[in-house]
Amino acid sequence: MDGKEGVLIIGGGIAGIQAALDVADQGVKAYVVESTPSVGGHMAMLDKTFPTLDCSACILTPKMVDVGRHPNVELLTYSEVRKVKREGRGFEVEIVKKPRYVDISKCTGCGVCARYCPVEVSDDFNAGMDVRKAIYVPFPQAVPLKYTIDEEHCIRCELCKRICESIGAGAVNFDQVAEEVNLNVGAIIIATGYKPFDVRQKKAYGYGKYPNVLTALELERLLSAAGPTAGHILRRSDGCIPKRVAFVQCVGSRDSHHGYPYCSRVCCMYAIKDSILLKEHIPDVDVTIFYMDIRTYGKGFEELYQRAKEEFKVRFRRGRVARIYEIPETHNLVVRVEDTETGEILQEEFEMVVLSVGLAPADGIAELSKILEVPLDEYGYIEGADAKIDTVSTKVPGVFVAGTALSPKDVPDSVSEASAAAMKAVTFLRGRK
Amino acid sequence: MSEANLNQEPRIGIFLCDCGTNISSIIDVPQVIEASKGISGVKFVERDSSLCSSAGTKKIRETIERSGVDRVVFAGCSPKNYGSLFESVCQKAGINRYLVAFANIREQCAWAHQDRPKEATIKAINTVQMAAARLQKSEPLQELEIEVHPSTLIIGGGISGMTAALCLANQGFSVLLVEREPDIGGMLNKLYKLYLTNQEVSEILNPVIQSVRNHKNIRILTSASVREVEGYFGDFEVTISVNGGTEKFRAGTIILATGAGTFEPFGMYGYGKHEGVVTQLELEQILKQGKLKHLEKVVMIQCVGAREEKGLTYCSRICCMVAIKNATLIKKLYPDCEVYIIYRDLQTYGKENEEYQSKARELGIRFIEYTPERRPEVFPNGNGKVGVRVYHALLGETLTINSDLVVLSTPLIPNADGKEIAKILKVPLGPDGFFKEAYMEMRSTAFGVNGIYVCGTAQGPKSIDESITQAYAAAALAAIPMQQKKVKIPAMTAEVNEELCIGCQLCLDLCPVHAITFAEGKSMVIEAICRGCGTCAAACPSKAIAVKGFKDEQILAEVEAALK
Amino acid sequence: MEEGEETRKFEPKILAFTCNWSSYSSADQAGISRTFYPPNVQIIRVMCAGRVDPLFVVKAFLNGADGVIIAGCHPNYCRYSGGNRQAEIRVKFLKMLMEEIGVDPARLRIEWISAMEGGRFAQVVQEMVGELKKMGPLLLRK
Repeated sequence: MDGKEGVLIIGGGIAGIQAALDVADQGVKAYVVESTPSVGGHMAMLDKTFPTLDCSACILTPKMVDVGRHPNVELLTYSEVRKVKREGRGFEVEIVKKPRYVDISKCTGCGVCARYCPVEVSDDFNAGMDVRKAIYVPFPQAVPLKYTIDEEHCIRCELCKRICESIGAGAVNFDQVAEEVNLNVGAIIIATGYKPFDVRQKKAYGYGKYPNVLTALELERLLSAAGPTAGHILRRSDGCIPKRVAFVQCVGSRDSHHGYPYCSRVCCMYAIKDSILLKEHIPDVDVTIFYMDIRTYGKGFEELYQRAKEEFKVRFRRGRVARIYEIPETHNLVVRVEDTETGEILQEEFEMVVLSVGLAPADGIAELSKILEVPLDEYGYIEGADAKIDTVSTKVPGVFVAGTALSPKDVPDSVSEASAAAMKAVTFLRGRK
Repeated sequence: MSEANLNQEPRIGIFLCDCGTNISSIIDVPQVIEASKGISGVKFVERDSSLCSSAGTKKIRETIERSGVDRVVFAGCSPKNYGSLFESVCQKAGINRYLVAFANIREQCAWAHQDRPKEATIKAINTVQMAAARLQKSEPLQELEIEVHPSTLIIGGGISGMTAALCLANQGFSVLLVEREPDIGGMLNKLYKLYLTNQEVSEILNPVIQSVRNHKNIRILTSASVREVEGYFGDFEVTISVNGGTEKFRAGTIILATGAGTFEPFGMYGYGKHEGVVTQLELEQILKQGKLKHLEKVVMIQCVGAREEKGLTYCSRICCMVAIKNATLIKKLYPDCEVYIIYRDLQTYGKENEEYQSKARELGIRFIEYTPERRPEVFPNGNGKVGVRVYHALLGETLTINSDLVVLSTPLIPNADGKEIAKILKVPLGPDGFFKEAYMEMRSTAFGVNGIYVCGTAQGPKSIDESITQAYAAAALAAIPMQQKKVKIPAMTAEVNEELCIGCQLCLDLCPVHAITFAEGKSMVIEAICRGCGTCAAACPSKAIAVKGFKDEQILAEVEAALK
Repeated sequence: MEEGEETRKFEPKILAFTCNWSSYSSADQAGISRTFYPPNVQIIRVMCAGRVDPLFVVKAFLNGADGVIIAGCHPNYCRYSGGNRQAEIRVKFLKMLMEEIGVDPARLRIEWISAMEGGRFAQVVQEMVGELKKMGPLLLRK
């Protein structure tokens, strides 16, 4: 093994996973620190990816398995970076492993404990549309496939412990405490991802008030065969299948009042993707996308857009949606939009409205920036070194960044950046330019 | 150590994991164990509750070593979970990893048939029998180890090629950079200033060219082109024509960075007919040479020749930003000049680009939308100039602009050499003519063929920073095997029995990675390239091709056992 | 060759050739999500649907299979770029042959099932069992 120290990768989403694999394949040790119990990130929540409409989990899980098994990768899930100190050219890192209350060397991921746990908690993985237990695995393909007890909601009935003992594994351990891990690494890659824009800030759209207004991520979970409704698209208000659906673009993006002025780059394509999937699930559904610009800049994007228009008859209307009202009797929604092509104000009724929510900097990024002494840009993302020639380096030598931690982008571009960051990290580690 | 001897009877060991109650609560495990003991060749059936745990793997190793078996069945959860872990453990205990088989009795039995436990049990017994039957016909296999020569051929000396070259050269690998033109630098040689930073190209380009020229690990051949590539991943034999002669180069990996061309919009919007209509690239040259005279009105038209139903269907990603940049430069030169950008959709995607667009609006640059159904029209306006008529939807009327200059934003197009190179390297082109990567989402720099990678605009239109990032990514992919010096190819490759081969050559065309060659009337599989899909074996009319690890005998043994 | 009478409580035997990258995983998925399907199917894993030699299908029928399923990746998603299409061509040919010799071609099915489509896998098996029960046993055993 080359390189006496390793590379620390903060974040276990697709960018973190790719970076870890590319570092590890070069014979360098990669430590992946992920704050949730499993790697996978937001990509694990998606049903399909654009532009190929490939199954997201199908292309992600092999990589997750690879990263979990790679001899040069150490996964530190349910852990966080607490302190980083410069040590020569490298770094001394203090990591905290949060207590899972489950001994992962004994847990087989069998799931019997969860069946007996009496506590139900809103399931983040299903965008809050389903419940999970206080002892849980975030999703069935989790890596590592080990259970975790959510300390915040656990009521300490200890049923899980007793059941686990009775089947001979005895993996539940309430005496577990947070563990400190100290590492010496030669380089760091920040791959902490994003969080969706908090759409409740846009009160005019009625999210949270009107049951049939959802975010695109919630729709993604509904579309998924492994989601809360087994792939059936049903209205929250009455469980019926919607026949008229609207997408509202640029929610929280290109918006200087509520959200961020920048473009989140993926929403046009994911709306196009989701509208096609909707048509596949509900052949007679009418889908309209209200947009400002349709951004189809990537490979295969324009072609998918044309397919949505020609083959799937998705309606595209240029216009900024001003307000969404609900009709109380039916829980249908009226979308009030200014058609910027004609200048008319339109009001159209829909049975479901999907908000194409933009991306925002992840939680905890401000703190991370302080720990690493890496500056943030004006929106709160990690700042790249040079927008033209070196986007994946930061202003701190030896600290690199990739994926949506740097700025909103799609999966292919995140993967490219992750590989580039891995290459730079390994080069830096080996003392070369 | 238990070694498989083909002359001896197979000695099979079975590990059965009941996965806690996951399997044992549905399937009658003792019944399965009893039945499995009766399979011919089985020396032991060992039950456990969590083979995947560290205690479990320890037990596997100890039991194998103690028992002297030469092949193993794992009955339990799906091999997708811990398959390679168990194979590794067996390998460490002296069992060839290709003598390990799996009986999926959890996901594909206990869990799927939870409602019918009796039948699930019978099926589980059957599944174990299938795995054992397969093993009876299995052979130990050795993985081919190929040496990867620590040198890379980079085709294309533009910013992507140079970035990848420097990255790899810095790692200590030898790089040969082959450039078709008399000079390296590529498309950037033609540019003036760059968007976002508005800096001069030379600021970025010159240092890179210098570094490439001075690097001891990089050799540059200009006015050169690749004629032939033989061999395979790890050991490519490349023939390059240069200086009227040829040169040979041995490369472990190859990176394609051949860039893109620009679309010439002859016949569109008066281009080629009137002086007053130019492309963005031509405008850049004019600006670079300081030859832009004072203008009163400039109109830029986006998507010229791009995003069409027939022809170039794609969006070229950078043209909106290029137009805004050039518009900004004009405005800075001549603040009173009216500049219009007529667009379909403004592709100022992402964090920084949107801001750049806002600043342009603040400068007074005007943006007018058009739809493909209602395109702008041009008309001659005297002195070679061309005016523009555009329907402004919001105003509900057609505007007439008496422009001094009309600038057409045209897309990047696949390099003219693309088809030739694709044939030489045996890599695919997509329907848009750019190189087709293997996995769009997950690996835009890789092909299905090992050892050849692509980056930059050769793969599709992209900006300079995106090209640079991708160049690093391609360099990473190339560095990995070269770093490892030797790469193990999974042993499940196809093999031709020459005696049976009738020379029909059906297999040659079927192979998706061109791993089969034909010489002296017989087919031959190049093991290093073969990916083991088995399509050739299934097609061979004389059953001359066998896929190691997935031989007919093995599969038929499973078929027979399944239906007993 | 096909017996017309239906044996009482006939449980058809189905052999499914699944591709490692997609349909094999879909069968796993069905199990994980507890989407039950009849145990009449036995699964054989190959690396690609293109590996399935027509010989395997014939042998399966000769050894007592009442139905055969070949399941691969969706068109354009074959990891080996086109093995699934080859399988499709072979199935067409096999069905013609089956027709010739009086075996109902519906006993052979080719399906495109991606790794996450556990429900689809279960559905295909369910459908086939239903159909085969109506058709009766094949009884081609030598």
